[in-house]
Amino acid sequence: MMSYRLPREPSGPRTTLWRRLRRLGVAQVADGVVALPADARTREQLEWLADDVLAAAGTAGVWLARPTTAAQERALAAGLAAARAAEYRDLVAACGAADGPRDLRRLRTEWRAVSRRDFFPPPEREEAAAALRELESRVAARAAEPVR
Amino acid sequence: MRWATRAGVHIDRAACAWLIRGFVDPDAEFLFVGDVAEVPGDATPFDMRGVALGHVGGDCSFETILRRYELTDPVLWRIAEIVHVADLDDDRFDAPEAPGLDVLLRGLSMTGDDARTLAVSGPLFDGLYEYHRRRALLGREPA
Repeated sequence: MMSYRLPREPSGPRTTLWRRLRRLGVAQVADGVVALPADARTREQLEWLADDVLAAAGTAGVWLARPTTAAQERALAAGLAAARAAEYRDLVAACGAADGPRDLRRLRTEWRAVSRRDFFPPPEREEAAAALRELESRVAARAAEPVR
Repeated sequence: MRWATRAGVHIDRAACAWLIRGFVDPDAEFLFVGDVAEVPGDATPFDMRGVALGHVGGDCSFETILRRYELTDPVLWRIAEIVHVADLDDDRFDAPEAPGLDVLLRGLSMTGDDARTLAVSGPLFDGLYEYHRRRALLGREPA
């Protein structure tokens, strides 16, 4: 868990921090408090961000925190799963609208990025994987067509 | 000289150790610690929170070391792009090698200790360096 406070101005560091937190897929517990499931990697990632906040004249700390009730823990995990589920649904839609190898490459990258921040895989993960496989075979079939 | 870094070596620390031994200090000896407070006085810490040779202004530690020791070799900077993307995963550079290298290093850290990760990854980085050196010389993909 990371707690942080950043000055309102300049807005650059705030924007950068927001973008990095989004990439990590954090749960926003409260204003200036974000959480990730604890492992060596997530801890290191939050520690670097905390240093960035300090460097931008803010205050920040990284904590090992535990919810006191199972319900609270479940709500946090459910929130993270729901956020990823929405991203996977967007991927399914994008796969349906795509048809070229360039789209395929972009969507594979997007899939990897979402997977990396997916700590509690929702059922939508498999749906997105299936949509991507379907797009792969569509692109492969088109490549095999004779050129007219 | 002695150098210290956080235990549990992954891509950035492995690449930094290779860089230090090859281009900064051929006699480098590496220590792995749990916290910056455990770094002995005669050791230079890298890739740890709050030390000079860490992540600075969006750079990963490998890039910070290149800047700090004024290493301008373009091949090293190409490797820095790969390490940056593998470590920070932010698409700042086009580095298709990055995801594969990251997985290899993470797998190594699961099957051996940090000394072994450095021993095995060193030749990998040697190969990466040679490949990109030849590519830069030829101006195309080497055979």
